[in-house]
Order: sequence, then structure tokens, then C-alpha cells
Amino acid sequence: MPGFDFSNHNRNAALHAQGVPLPKATSTGTTIVGCLFDGGVVIAADTRATSGPIVADKNCEKLHYIAPQIWCAGAGTAADTEFTTALISSNLELHSLSTGRKPRVVTCMTLLKQHLFRYQGYIGAYLVVAGVDPTGSHLFTVHAHGSTDKLPYVTMGSGSLAAMSVFESSWKTGIDRDAAVKLCAEAIMAGIFNDLGSGSNVDVCVITADKTTLLRNYIKPNEREKKKRNYKFARGTTAVLNEKIITREQISKYITVHELEDETVTAAAEKMDVDT
Amino acid sequence: MAVSCTREVLLEELREAAVDVEARVAALQVEAWTRSSLQPRGGISRELCYDLSNSVFSPDGRNFQVEYAVKAVENGGTAIGIRCKDGVVLALEKLVSSKLLKPGANKRIATIDRNMGVVSAGLLPDGRHFTSRARDEAAQWRRMYKAPIPTSSLADRMGSYIQAYTLYNSVRPFGVTCIIAGWDSEAELAVDGQVGSGPTVGAGGKVDKMKHGGPFLYMIEPSGSYWGYYGAATGKGRQSAKSELEKLNLTEGTLSLEEGVKEAARIIYIAHEDSKDKDFELEMTWVSSLDGPTKGRHEEVPKKIREEAERLAKKALEDDDEEEEAKAEGGERMEE
Amino acid sequence: MQRTGMLREDGIHVDMDHLKKGEVNLGTSIMAINFRDGVILGADSRTTTGAYIANRVTDKLTQVHDTIWCCRSGSAADTQAVADIVQYYLGMYGTTNNEAPTTQTAAALFQEICYENKDQLSAGMIIAGYDHRHGGQVYSIPLGGSLHKQSYAIGGSGSTYIYGYCDANWREEMTQEEGIDFVKGSLQEAIKWDGSSGGVIRMVVLTAKGAQRHLYLPDTGYKGPGEQ
Repeated sequence: MPGFDFSNHNRNAALHAQGVPLPKATSTGTTIVGCLFDGGVVIAADTRATSGPIVADKNCEKLHYIAPQIWCAGAGTAADTEFTTALISSNLELHSLSTGRKPRVVTCMTLLKQHLFRYQGYIGAYLVVAGVDPTGSHLFTVHAHGSTDKLPYVTMGSGSLAAMSVFESSWKTGIDRDAAVKLCAEAIMAGIFNDLGSGSNVDVCVITADKTTLLRNYIKPNEREKKKRNYKFARGTTAVLNEKIITREQISKYITVHELEDETVTAAAEKMDVDT
Repeated sequence: MAVSCTREVLLEELREAAVDVEARVAALQVEAWTRSSLQPRGGISRELCYDLSNSVFSPDGRNFQVEYAVKAVENGGTAIGIRCKDGVVLALEKLVSSKLLKPGANKRIATIDRNMGVVSAGLLPDGRHFTSRARDEAAQWRRMYKAPIPTSSLADRMGSYIQAYTLYNSVRPFGVTCIIAGWDSEAELAVDGQVGSGPTVGAGGKVDKMKHGGPFLYMIEPSGSYWGYYGAATGKGRQSAKSELEKLNLTEGTLSLEEGVKEAARIIYIAHEDSKDKDFELEMTWVSSLDGPTKGRHEEVPKKIREEAERLAKKALEDDDEEEEAKAEGGERMEE
Repeated sequence: MQRTGMLREDGIHVDMDHLKKGEVNLGTSIMAINFRDGVILGADSRTTTGAYIANRVTDKLTQVHDTIWCCRSGSAADTQAVADIVQYYLGMYGTTNNEAPTTQTAAALFQEICYENKDQLSAGMIIAGYDHRHGGQVYSIPLGGSLHKQSYAIGGSGSTYIYGYCDANWREEMTQEEGIDFVKGSLQEAIKWDGSSGGVIRMVVLTAKGAQRHLYLPDTGYKGPGEQ
């Protein structure tokens, strides 16, 4: 019969009923944060990607480009944050081109929330949206189900609790650029050191009215030390007990050996027509 | 095999016939064009080139199809609307096309929503389609907003609808001018389907005696343009009807609905004077305020009231005739 | 399909934990009241994901037209989406009809969306607005999507704790001060007893003069700063 085949669905439902768990997507246990300051906004992220208990990537990038002055930090399902931000980046650029204006952060946030709401949480993207546009500096969080919040400082991901504790104890109104970068880096470090899902380095992105600065690996608190010992074995470590040379004639007893002449190889190549 | 043979022969014949028709159409077109181009500049035939299609302007910026539609309206029975202080009256001179039609049946004034009615002059089926669309619009509004559509919004939507029929060359404009009468409720309206009615005393800061709603009257033309009126008239007898309406000083807003009904009947009778040879029926509907005779609904004027209005209308006409005769006699006497 | 309630032999079962896993929830205390000159909307400011407070200064009072506002409770994503759609419709209504929409219009739109999508949504909303024709009005739309016109309405998880308080203290025709005290007193109780409610108290006062925001912080025992 033509049409869709739903037999896999029935199989999966049967397996699930027997207690077979559903396969898991790669979820990045993550710490991402953002903080507004006088004249701009800064976002930061750790660089650990996990796949279950395995660290899949020790130095991945969780800060995504949306527009020159709008960036996103992503937590949740890695593929979803990557593709969602890329899609919205593309749409926002087309929108910007057709309006002849710089894209606005609220526009980006609205596109994201409407896209994510449509997929009812099945797109597991949890995002911190930050940027500067003609209306000022803005900072939002967008949850996978499509809800948004607007706050002066935000944290998301499995390390958000650790990061939030840093903000809640140290954040002050009227914070300047350097203090904001330092605070965000510290919040990420709190995630790196106290959350199992977060780790490795700190990425920071600072956006002001004039320019955007991406500080990749701004802090590397988990630099791998040089190994104290070398596992290479010196020549001659292993003793030679005996030696035997096998000739071609001898091996021909077990397998067929063809001699490839250099000439035939070149001739075959010459037969091929090549456009010049 | 035989079947397919026959079919092929048939198809071939058809094809030939089609080619023949095409050729003849082409020839006719060429002939028409040549003839028109041979005409002297500014001749009638030159303009006629621009009246065949809806979506084509004439060089002096006219859309002839729309103007012809207006002609269709001008042949229809007179229809009028009067906006009184406590309601609106619609009246129609329904010309009787056959003695075999049942008197009082085949109503021409339609109800759009509970509080709104429409009368049209011109092509009957076009008027029926207009009514059907207006009902759809009113129903769609109710589905969306759980409340009756304001008369102004209905007029706006229908204006847009009529206008669309002047744009495309696959359709013709509406051959009707429609008069819409409505009473927008002055009371607080509940949302359809709501439970409860809120506070029993003091509706949270409501301004006392703040007036809302009231009587509304609109007329939409074949071009799609529409205006709000104190008194509107269209159809064959519109000229005499308009001059009578102007005498009523409707802008003062003092005419009551009861008086309005009598005036409407009288005006229709006056408008009928020019086509006295034809029989007609007077059809009248009205819509009043919530404390008026129709309780905010669009209804037919009760038989008793209508007949009384007709009696007065006939009497007024007779009085006029006598007066004129007297005048004429008087004139003669002066000459003596 | 996910449903908000189901019928079994032993009665109707309502799944109180029907939010999707990880969904942001407005475990909430919201209310709106009529007073002499208009309406007052009030809400706490707590947004939770499970046991974690995702936002402690949330604004659950959302403007959908000049003087028509709503209080949101339930799923943050759902209520934001619904409010956004209604805001769009009311904006279109205002421009196409050359007349501001009434609170009834807003309530009708909210109800239609909440009712038609009741299987997908968990949104409990209170709509309050002021217009010159009807003055202030309060409408409540609970989970199933029915529409109730009320003198005052309370909603959210915290409302269960203050039915008695509100019933005992409610009076028609209060002054603005009395109204603010009533809302503040009620929400303070709700915040006190409901773990899912907390943070600051936000209010919006809607009168002939327009919309006025109020803010009351827990640091000062919800005494101020008041008008914003």
C-alpha cells in the first residue's frame, strides 16, 4: 500500500512497553550565563560537551553567532541549539536585508520563542540571547517550550544553580564592562568546578554599541599538564629471540601473487580522457 | 478498435471545428479593431473599446463597466432609508412584475443580523448575493468576537467586497446599490457564552449616561464606495425621493421613528408617481432602540402601522393634486 | 494525547502534574478586582522549573492593549504565546475598526484560543480592562476555557489559600487605596502559604486616566515603593 509506513512506530511502542528505554540524544550538561553592563552586554559559556557519562568534546563552542551584534549561548540538545540558532540567524539576516535596518534583539527573541513554541519542547534548545541594537542592550533567556524572561543577569543549563549563586552574591547595579566580564567568567568557573555536566574552559563574548569581541578560551583553568613520564619504549627494549625470512616463492604456496608492472599502471591512466 | 476509431474521427472533427471558430473570432476582432481605428478621434466607438472589460480604464480615467452597473440600479424600484433619532426605517417600492405573484410574498428587504437589515435596488440576484455575503460577514464577526458586528464595520467590509468586483476582468461589478440600516446596542453586551455578570453594583468606574451605539444608515454603490447617511435613496425614483428627504431636516435628529415610517411610505408613493402605470407593493422594515417598538431588532413594520402610513401617503398625494389643480385654476382666473 | 483530566468509573481524575517535563511553570498567585474607578490587577513574581526558581522578579501582568491587561498562570510558554496572539488580534482590531477594542472583545479572543486548544494548553488567565463604555471589567478563564465575568477573580496555585480571606474582606465599590490594600493583603497571604508563589508583588491600576504600575518589595514588608 502506498503512503507512510508506521510499522517502526508499532515496533518502538512494543519495545517501550517491554521496558526498553528510548535512545537518548546528546545533551550538553552546560553552564551558560549573561550579564548586562553600562553600555553593552556580555555572555559566557563553558566548553564541555557530554554524551551520557562521556566527555564528547573538551573544547566545544557554545556561543553562537546570530548577527554581528547579537549572540546566543546555548544549552540543552547540542544539535538543536546549533541548528535553531543557525536558522534564526539566517532568517534574521534576510529580515535585516529586506528592511534595511540592523536586526533587533527582541526580533531575534520572538523568532526563537515562536519557533520553539511550535515544536512544543521537542526542540531541546535552551538559550541566552544577548545583543546591542539601536534601541539599546538587551538580555533574554528562551526556554525550549517557548517561554522567555528578561533580566539584568541570567544563567542556564545544569550549572545554572552554581552560576546563579555567584551572580546573586556579587552582582551590583551599574556594573562596568570589565567587572561584568569578570563576574560572568567567575559564574562559569563555578559551573565548571561544581557541576559534573560542565567543564574545561571559559568562552566569553562582549557586545557593545561599537563592536563585538569574542574571547575564545578566555580562561583555561583545566590546562592539561605535560605528562611526567613518557610511555615510548626505547629501541631495543624488546629482545629478539629468533629471526626468519620468508621468500615470495614460499608465500606463493598459500596465496596468489601478481606482479604489477609500472608500465600497465601508467598506460591505464593515459587512457582516461581529461579536459584540458 | 471501432470505438477508438470513432473517437479519433470525432476528435479530429472537433479540432477542425475549433480552428474554424478561432479563425472567425480572430476575423471579428480584426474587423472590430479596424472599424474602431477608422472612427474619427473622440467618437463614441473609440470609447466603446474600453467598456468591454472590467479591469481596463478609459483614457479619461473611467471604468465603463461600473457606470453601466449604475444604469442597472437606476432602472430598479426605488429604495430609501431614513435615520431617525430612535431607529432606522427601510422602505422599498417593489414593482410587481406579474399579476400571478402572491401579494405580500417574495420579500426584498433582508435581515443581516438581529439588529441589522439591508435593501437593494437593481438586479435582484445581485442583491441576494450581497445579502448572503453580508450575513456571512456578520456571522464570521460573531464567531470571532462573540458579539454583533457594528453597522460601520459591516458597511466597511461590504464596501471592500463590492470594490473587489471592479478590479478583475473575469467578473462584472454588482448591479445593485444597497442601503444598510442597523441599531448598535446602547446596552452593555455580554460576551456570547460567558458565565456570570460581574458586580451587581457600580460597574467599575463606568461613566454615567455615556452614550454608545444608536441608529446607523449606510449606502454602498456598485463602485464599492459607501457613505453614512441621514437619509438615503436609490433606484428609479431617487431624485424625487432625495428632494423629499432633504425637506425632512434629518440632520437635526428630531424625527421620531413613528414619523419616519409615515414619511418613508409617503416618499415611496411620491417616487412612484413617475411610473404610475406599473403596479407596486410597499415593503417596509425598521429597527429601533432597545426600549422602542422593535427592542433593538430589525423587523418588518407591522401590517397595521404600514397600512395606516400608506393611507396617509395616498391622502397626501391627493391633497397635493387638489392643491395643484387649485393653483392652475387660480392662474387661469388671474388671466381673466 | 495529553489531557488535563479524564473520566474513570470512580470519578474524574485531574492530573495536577500534567506540565511537560522541564517546562517552566508559573506556580502563581494572581488576581484582579473591580473598584470604584476601574480595575486593579495583581500578581506575585515567582517562576519555577521544578524546585528551582527560574525567575524571582517575573512580570505576570501582560498588556494586550492600551487599557486591557491580563494575569498569566500555568505554563509560561503557553500563556506568553496566547497573550502574544491576543495582543496581535487586538492591535489589528484597533486599526481596522478605528475604535479601541472593549474588554469583552479581548475576553472573547482569549476564551476562543484557550477553549479550542484546551488539550494542548495549560493556561489559567484573568483578563481585566477599562474602557469608557463599560468602565472596569474582570473576566476569568480557568483551565477548561470557560469564561466567567466576576466582581473579582483569583487564580494560580496560591489562590486556594486565600478564598476565605478574599470572601471575608471583599466589598464592592472600594476606593483605590482600599483596593490596593485588598489585593496586597490577599497576595501577601497567598505568598505566605504557597511555596510556589513569592518574590515581589506587582500591580497594575486601570482607570480613565490609563494604566499605572505599582511595585511592592518583600524587603520592606511589601510597603513600597508603590507607584512606579
